[in-house]
Amino acid sequence: MKIQNSKFKIQNFLPVTRYSSLVTVLLVTCYLSLVTDAAAMHISEGILPMNWAAVWFAVAVPFVWYGMKRLGELSKIDLSFKPLAGLMAAIVFVISLMPIPVPTAGTCSHPGGTAIPAILLGPSITVLITGVALLVQALFFAHGGLSTWGADVVSMGVTGAFAGIAVFKVLRKMRAGLALSAFFAGLVSDWAIYFTTSVELASGIMGDEPFLPLFTKILIAFVPTQLPLGIVEGAMTAGMVKLIFKRRSDLLVKFGVIKAEEAAL
Amino acid sequence: MNFSEHFNKGHILAKVDARVKLLVALALLLMVLSYKGIFFPLLMSAGALMLCIKMRIPLKAILARMAQPLFLALVILLLKLFFSGKDTMFVIKLPTSHFPLLTLAGHSDGLLEGIRITSRILGGVSIVMALGFATPFIEFVAALSWLRVPRPFIEIMMLAYRYLFVFLEDASTIYSAQKNRLGYAGIRKGLNSFGVLTGSLVLRGFEQSQKTADAMIQRGYTGDMPQLKSQPLSVAELAAAVIVVLAGGAVWMI
Repeated sequence: MKIQNSKFKIQNFLPVTRYSSLVTVLLVTCYLSLVTDAAAMHISEGILPMNWAAVWFAVAVPFVWYGMKRLGELSKIDLSFKPLAGLMAAIVFVISLMPIPVPTAGTCSHPGGTAIPAILLGPSITVLITGVALLVQALFFAHGGLSTWGADVVSMGVTGAFAGIAVFKVLRKMRAGLALSAFFAGLVSDWAIYFTTSVELASGIMGDEPFLPLFTKILIAFVPTQLPLGIVEGAMTAGMVKLIFKRRSDLLVKFGVIKAEEAAL
Repeated sequence: MNFSEHFNKGHILAKVDARVKLLVALALLLMVLSYKGIFFPLLMSAGALMLCIKMRIPLKAILARMAQPLFLALVILLLKLFFSGKDTMFVIKLPTSHFPLLTLAGHSDGLLEGIRITSRILGGVSIVMALGFATPFIEFVAALSWLRVPRPFIEIMMLAYRYLFVFLEDASTIYSAQKNRLGYAGIRKGLNSFGVLTGSLVLRGFEQSQKTADAMIQRGYTGDMPQLKSQPLSVAELAAAVIVVLAGGAVWMI
């Protein structure tokens, strides 16, 4: 039952064009009611063919390996670092399961949550803890998949963490405030995840079609959830950093987020 | 709530070694991904769903797990139908046929390609879902350890699992308290409350990690956690696994 070529034509018995208005209403209703669970754009099991799944796995593994190496180094200096990384993985897991309202779609979605550990623990540790969270989510929540684990680690862990921390560092160098830098770190991190996932999806499903048109359409398809979600993620990251600064600024100093003089102000 | 809340101890699959289940699932998953048609993935999906029903997994739990992958599958199906292929089946003029602002053409070859990807998603998700329902988390971690997944990865996984439910409980308590005090009345207030919620979780994480590290050091922790030891694999279970994989392979080749 392998599909070679299609021969059937339904236009002969389905006069769709006569009901364009009805189709419009149905399409819009279906779309808005279905955009309920973007789940920070995890790529589901089975979407990527084997060759692309293998490519993204090969890209992800060195980053995860480096994260483990870094974790080993930091654990030798401070024995409490490994438990901290484990608990941050649990927090990333919880945050990425939280439903948050997306006003433009009128529904709920979930943030990625990778900008927060990237700011606090650094991007390489973030890749590792994202990899752990993604594996558990794939098996026990069907968010992502075992075959798409590599692709999800590249988009959420690698791109999300590195884009977030790069924006945060650049803005801090430009003497931007802590909350403002964290806001843009969260925003850019989320949008970077969205962009990379679209690249992965388009390359995985394009078949014989050209890449760019399909990539553009996928980007547009997820605009109603992902653009506002980025702003929400930015606000969430800024709120988190602000709260830690108010209550435990010593932790931000310890992890090199701010200087000791800044905490004393 | 826990990951194994639907785990049925009475089902025969519950008694099978997690390593065997994982290897069979991975082999079937590879076959689903490499198959060029729709028959094999749909067959695997039907088989895995039947297995879930046999394990007495509530339909609601199955549908909840399938919801997100099905949503993505639908988006891909629509994208392939309207934006891929050359063989036009129908044309839709939007918003009305009298005032067309956008013309969409549905293609039969795009639709078939979309159906092929959708079947792959259904097959893959169903296999992994059945594996998840049939394997308790701790056994799954032990199987990963046996498969030589690096130790730091396993350790972080175990630590995360230990505190996951504590943080879910904390998040739920903070969220309820905020909601009762109108913390989510309006977008601005809601965003602020959400930031406070995540910040509080991170702070609790820091405090808890310190307490955990202290407790671990008192028990002799020097940087590495003890590894899980595996029993030898059962020959009968291995033989059954080989038969299942070979049967799958035979269907795959048809």
